[in-house]
Amino acid sequence: MAATTESVKADAAEKPLLNVRNLVLGSLVYIIFYGWVRWYEGVYGWSAGLDSFAPEFETYWMNFLYIEFVLEVCTAGILWGYIWKSRDRKVMSITPREELRRHFTHWTWLVCYAWAIYYGASYFTEQDGTWHQTIVRDTDFTPSHIIEFYLSYPIYIITGGASFLYARTRLPAYQQGLSLMYLVSVVGPFMILPNVGLNEWGHTFWFMEELFVAPLHYGFVFFGWAALGVLGVVNIEVQAISKLLKKDLA
Amino acid sequence: MKILKDKVAKLSFVALLLTMTAAMFYTPTASAHGEKSQAAFMRMRTIHWFDLNWSKDEVPVNDTMTLTGKFYVFQGWPETVDKPEVSFLNVGIPGPVFIRAGSWIGGQLVPRSVSLELGETYEFKVLLKARRPGDWHVHAMMNVKGGGPIIGPGKWVTITGSMSDFTNPITTLTGETIDLETYNLSNTYFWHGLWYAIGLLWLAYWARKPMFVPRSIAVEAGKADTLISGTDKKVALGFGVGVIAIVAMSMASTNDKFPITTPLQAGLLRGMKTIEMPVATVKVKIEDATYRVPGRAMQMTMTITNNGDSPVRLGEFNTAGVRFLDPEVSVDESGYPDDLLAEEGLTVSDNSPLAPGQSKTVQVTASDAAWEVYRLADLIYDPDSRFAGLLFFYDAAGNRQMITIDAPLIPSFI
Amino acid sequence: MSASQSAVRSRAEAVKVSRTFDWLILFTLFFVVLGGYHIHYMLTGGDWDFWTDWKDRRLWVTVAPIVSITFPAAVQACLWYRYRLPFGAVVCILGLLLGEWVNRYLNFWGWTYFPVNFCFPSNLMPGAIVLDVILMLSGSLTVTAVVGGLAYGLLFYPGNWPVIAPLHVPVEYNGMMMTLADLQGYHYVRTGTPEYIRMVEKGTLRTFGKDVAPVSAFFSGFVSIIIYFLWHFFGKWFAQTTFVNSENF
Repeated sequence: MAATTESVKADAAEKPLLNVRNLVLGSLVYIIFYGWVRWYEGVYGWSAGLDSFAPEFETYWMNFLYIEFVLEVCTAGILWGYIWKSRDRKVMSITPREELRRHFTHWTWLVCYAWAIYYGASYFTEQDGTWHQTIVRDTDFTPSHIIEFYLSYPIYIITGGASFLYARTRLPAYQQGLSLMYLVSVVGPFMILPNVGLNEWGHTFWFMEELFVAPLHYGFVFFGWAALGVLGVVNIEVQAISKLLKKDLA
Repeated sequence: MKILKDKVAKLSFVALLLTMTAAMFYTPTASAHGEKSQAAFMRMRTIHWFDLNWSKDEVPVNDTMTLTGKFYVFQGWPETVDKPEVSFLNVGIPGPVFIRAGSWIGGQLVPRSVSLELGETYEFKVLLKARRPGDWHVHAMMNVKGGGPIIGPGKWVTITGSMSDFTNPITTLTGETIDLETYNLSNTYFWHGLWYAIGLLWLAYWARKPMFVPRSIAVEAGKADTLISGTDKKVALGFGVGVIAIVAMSMASTNDKFPITTPLQAGLLRGMKTIEMPVATVKVKIEDATYRVPGRAMQMTMTITNNGDSPVRLGEFNTAGVRFLDPEVSVDESGYPDDLLAEEGLTVSDNSPLAPGQSKTVQVTASDAAWEVYRLADLIYDPDSRFAGLLFFYDAAGNRQMITIDAPLIPSFI
Repeated sequence: MSASQSAVRSRAEAVKVSRTFDWLILFTLFFVVLGGYHIHYMLTGGDWDFWTDWKDRRLWVTVAPIVSITFPAAVQACLWYRYRLPFGAVVCILGLLLGEWVNRYLNFWGWTYFPVNFCFPSNLMPGAIVLDVILMLSGSLTVTAVVGGLAYGLLFYPGNWPVIAPLHVPVEYNGMMMTLADLQGYHYVRTGTPEYIRMVEKGTLRTFGKDVAPVSAFFSGFVSIIIYFLWHFFGKWFAQTTFVNSENF
């Protein structure tokens, strides 16, 4: 009886397996931040974003671009640096329960990655198609590009990188090397950003009209496929979690 | 504490929704369109817009205005831009702030692409119906396949009223009058909602039972077949048959409801009616042309020969929609946009009437800040530094002649 | 770490943990696949999907199923063979349609004011359900590719017809005949989409009279079969759990 009471106490004192608060807060960061971004687009896209040669464009859009560049580099440096710096050097000797808890934390990262990919690849990418129906593309840095290419893509790269690093530094399941599909699902979408170079090269010299299915855009398509790498990650995770739960689930 | 947290969360959502709504109904003051990014040589040597008229400066929602004028398809069309064999008369506005209620070239409605001939002049008209309040720049615009949008002059027009009042009534050939703004909307939501719900049901059927870990353990253990039960198969069959039945029935009922439908209409329109401009009896030869960067002025030396029967004077130089006028000869009364109009921008060293049969060499200077503002001065950095434009000569009776010029431009940096 | 140590305290907790992972995995899978699939679809068939005046009976019908059967085939290849979960195609389409609808409503309409009845997405759900059902009932890659792929192509046009038929009612406009969909494209000015960009039927031959859509659908189904095979193997490749030597990087 005493032992049971003690174990209950220990459970109560112990950190929960899944930190729901972090999961919710992590998700809210994306939802609220991108809600604000959409509000900013709605107001300053129309009032300052139609003519890239106007002074207000510099104020509201180019400054946005410069600030986001700086913040992204800082965030990536600090976040990735922190995850790497605080890595577990004895990752193979953690308890199964701690391992399970870390899988939950890892999935919190992956849920954030899902939000980030959704906003980047779906929401802001297709949004670009309609904004370019309202302006004549007169710069590489149109309001929708400043958000899509240079904000939403870096954010999912940062999130994906953080998720990958977390798994690599804290989970036993990822110690046997580098997971090929994890690399694909993080590096592939990352390559969409350099591919902007091809896009802008084409749009600078030739295409001013908005044909989404133009071959010029196929680089994005190819790297978009890499998101399917998440299937491999799911499989690795399910295998690892199965190992932890198998005998209790039977 | 928890209540407080819930409240904060609730309030933030409300705030988020409010800001989104505010953004959606925001009435803006828009800036100009992106014409300035186009290479100056492209704006000077492709489509020359002139005699433009915007019928109104202010339009209430649901009211119409017209943009009318002429365009000359430049004979010396640059090699780098595909010829306007497939072109579309567009209008440069920020999306559907107006709807295009009609557009005509030479009196022919042009909802489709058209073929234009080099060296010809066309008359056009665009009828716009106001939809979304705000201050908008309304440009003449021609899209050329392989060239892109060629944007003409733009003028500010204000739309007043409320977008929620906008209607777009159309009577179909089946005799029904509909509002195209909202037509078919509830039908679209219904079918998409229904199919999405069926998809969700299918997912929910499988998600109600444990999914990944236990099923993976079973498959690994070679018990994959036990994972699909007889009921599952029946349900799946039900879904499969149900889907096909719904598709078949909805198709049949749609055909009953809409027995008359036609395919989308497409195809190039050829043989656009051109207009005959008065025969030019004046000849102009450009001896040289320089652009003085510090003075924002273009200087041309030209030899003018009058082969007509009345004395003429040079009144206007028009390039890329910027009009340089000699106020003694030509005054704008059309309300042309200020930023594109240099009312005293044209200086001719000797602009006395040139008598019939005579010839003279004069210095013509076109100077205005518009060279910089509209980035026409960037011509000197273009890969094909030629300029072009229209000259308008007038006789004492006010008869006008249009002459095109096309020559290399030499920059002067000092 | 001792092998006898357990990660969970009870069977009940194990079940709960497994279930929690179910939802986390499903959520992540849904949105990551949504992202990849949506960018793929919008850039290979997007213009047909954006505007009603592109939804014709030749190219839209042909292109949309071919480019959209890709991700469903790949995700099925993972979910069915590893978990016996037959919702790979439906989960893809639910994701894609959610992404499209959110964007069409909040951005096409909410930011740039194109009416929703002009820019709604294509309905891909009937084909997806049938694809999943066939895989589940047959358990066979070949049957799913051949029968499912063909059905996917064939069901597309009739599955969309109730939504687009009202827009194909003809109208006389200033002396020309056009459909309401054409008129939408003409009325609601798209600065970046001149009419000539539109890739729609401009055919001359009328072997089947006016009923040409089934021919397009049949052709589309045929190519969908091939694409299904191809993407099934892509899916298998993406589902691997291989690790590579980090020294090679």
